[in-house]
This record gives sequence, C-alpha cells and structure tokens, in this order.
Amino acid sequence: MYLEVRLPWNVIIPAENLDQKGLILQRSIIIRLLDEFACKKATKDLGYYLAVTSLEHIGEGKVRQNTGDVLFPVVFNGLTFKLFRGEILEGIVHKVLKHGVFLRCGPVENVYLSHLKMPDYKYVPGENPVFMNDKLSRIGKDMSVRFIVIGTKWLEAEREFQALVSLEGDFLGPVS
Amino acid sequence: MSGEEEENAAELKIGDEFLKAKCLMNCEVSFILEHKYEQLRHMSEDPLNQVSQVFEKSLQYVKRFSRYKNPDAVRQVREILSRYQLTEFELCVLGNLCPETVEEAIAMVPSMKTKGRGLDEEAIEKMLNDLSLIKTFE
Repeated sequence: MYLEVRLPWNVIIPAENLDQKGLILQRSIIIRLLDEFACKKATKDLGYYLAVTSLEHIGEGKVRQNTGDVLFPVVFNGLTFKLFRGEILEGIVHKVLKHGVFLRCGPVENVYLSHLKMPDYKYVPGENPVFMNDKLSRIGKDMSVRFIVIGTKWLEAEREFQALVSLEGDFLGPVS
Repeated sequence: MSGEEEENAAELKIGDEFLKAKCLMNCEVSFILEHKYEQLRHMSEDPLNQVSQVFEKSLQYVKRFSRYKNPDAVRQVREILSRYQLTEFELCVLGNLCPETVEEAIAMVPSMKTKGRGLDEEAIEKMLNDLSLIKTFE
C-alpha cells in the first residue's frame, strides 16, 4: 500500500554554507532533505521511501557545538510503500523456478509465491517455464498475478523487505 | 519467515498509525511520481540517474497497475468511495483492484463485512455501480 506520512527530519547544513540567507538557505535545506531522503531507501516501520510530497515546516536552526554546523528540524510529508500481512495486491512475475515464482510489487523485488501456495498449478518446464492448472490458466514471466500477503520480513543489512504470498483465496490468481 | 503475530490487513489490524494514515491509490501515486519525474527532466539531462531505484521501480509499477488514467476520473473514484464508511486503506484496495461483483469486493476487503459496519451488500452493489459509470466515460 502507498502511504503519505508526516515525517520529522533533522537537516544539517555545514558551517561553510551558512553565509546563505533567506530563500537560498531554505533551498539548500530542501535540496539536502531530498538527497538524504533519496538515499534512505527504506525503514522497517514505514517501508520504502519514495518521494517528498510537501514541506510543512522548517524550524529554527540550532548550532552544533563541535562542528559549527547548524541543525534544522524539518517536518514534511513523504510517500512510502509498505506491504501488510493480509493485504491483497497485484504483482508481476519476474522469475519462474521449479518450486515457485518471484514477483515484483511496487519497489519490492523479492515477493515469493511458493508452488505450495498455488493450488492446482503445476510446474511446466521448458525454455519459458510456467505454472499451469487444469483449466490451462498460466503463471509465467512478465504476467500479472493477484495474491494475498502471508508474511513479510525486514532485512536490516540490505535495507529491504521480502514477502511471502499465496493464491489461496477467492478471486486470486493471474490477472488479464 | 513469519508474519507478525497480530498484523492482518484483512481484519484491518495494521496498527493505529496506519489506520489513520493517508493511503494513496496506484493511479494517484502515478500522477505524483510522473510529475516529479517531469520536474527532474527539466532540471537535468539524465533524470533516471537522479531518481532512486525505489522511485523508478515504483513509477513502472503504478503506471502498469493504474486502473484509471484520467485525473478527473481518479478524483471521482476517491469522491465516490469516500461516501461509504471505508477506511483509507479499504478505499485504496478497492480503487486499485476494481472488483466487478459484490462477492469479489468482499473477498478483496473482508473487513467490510464486520458486524456493525453498516456496509450491507446493497450498499456495496451501489458503490460498484457508481464506480463502473466512471470507467465508461474515461
């Protein structure tokens, strides 16, 4: 799900840039905020950080004792993406393996749909392997599939999420 | 790997902060990200270098999974869905998946069927009818 969240952030302007005033200083703060935001990638609580949508407030700067830099507390609205257990979404298959498929959903690459969670679908090997059921419905590369999220995992080191999904449920499966 | 014990979007158990948060449909996100991408295009020769992987993948995703492409249609979808007592989360799931029948809508958003919600099948049917009119005129 895409969310718009209100976020506090501390933007630090180095001492050398502090001769700027008014709008130019404000612009520096915003640019720095955008850069830092883009580098953040994701957090466990809010998911993937996509974009800053609006700036609410830039607070008064506080000088940091040791470095002479100034810290500006900022509040802004940002767009994030997070997968919730029990959520139903659609994704695109990007890898087909014997035991399941990997899907891409939003910015998440590692969404795994195990063959155990694809009721009635069987692996069909070949140059372009697919999973297929009796009604000849197929799940293959670049196809859209609607699924339910059964679990998510935050990987601290890589700063990304993985998810386990399932087709067990009504109206789930390949989407035309 | 296991999901958190309590989290379950099907029952709207997603945490207070998310129940109150503003959720956005794929089509709404598509406008926001496209607009940002355009801004970058004017500012730099190689806009793709300026955006993160997260941004780029999301832009591709929402473009592909937006059911409504016209900004007026998108506004109308939100307006119509807002008339029914839905949470932001439920509203966006419906706007994203566009169920065609009442049965499908309930399967996508089971929390609508919780007792005391006041969302009976008649109301859901009316909601889907109103939504289908938008698609006709897109």
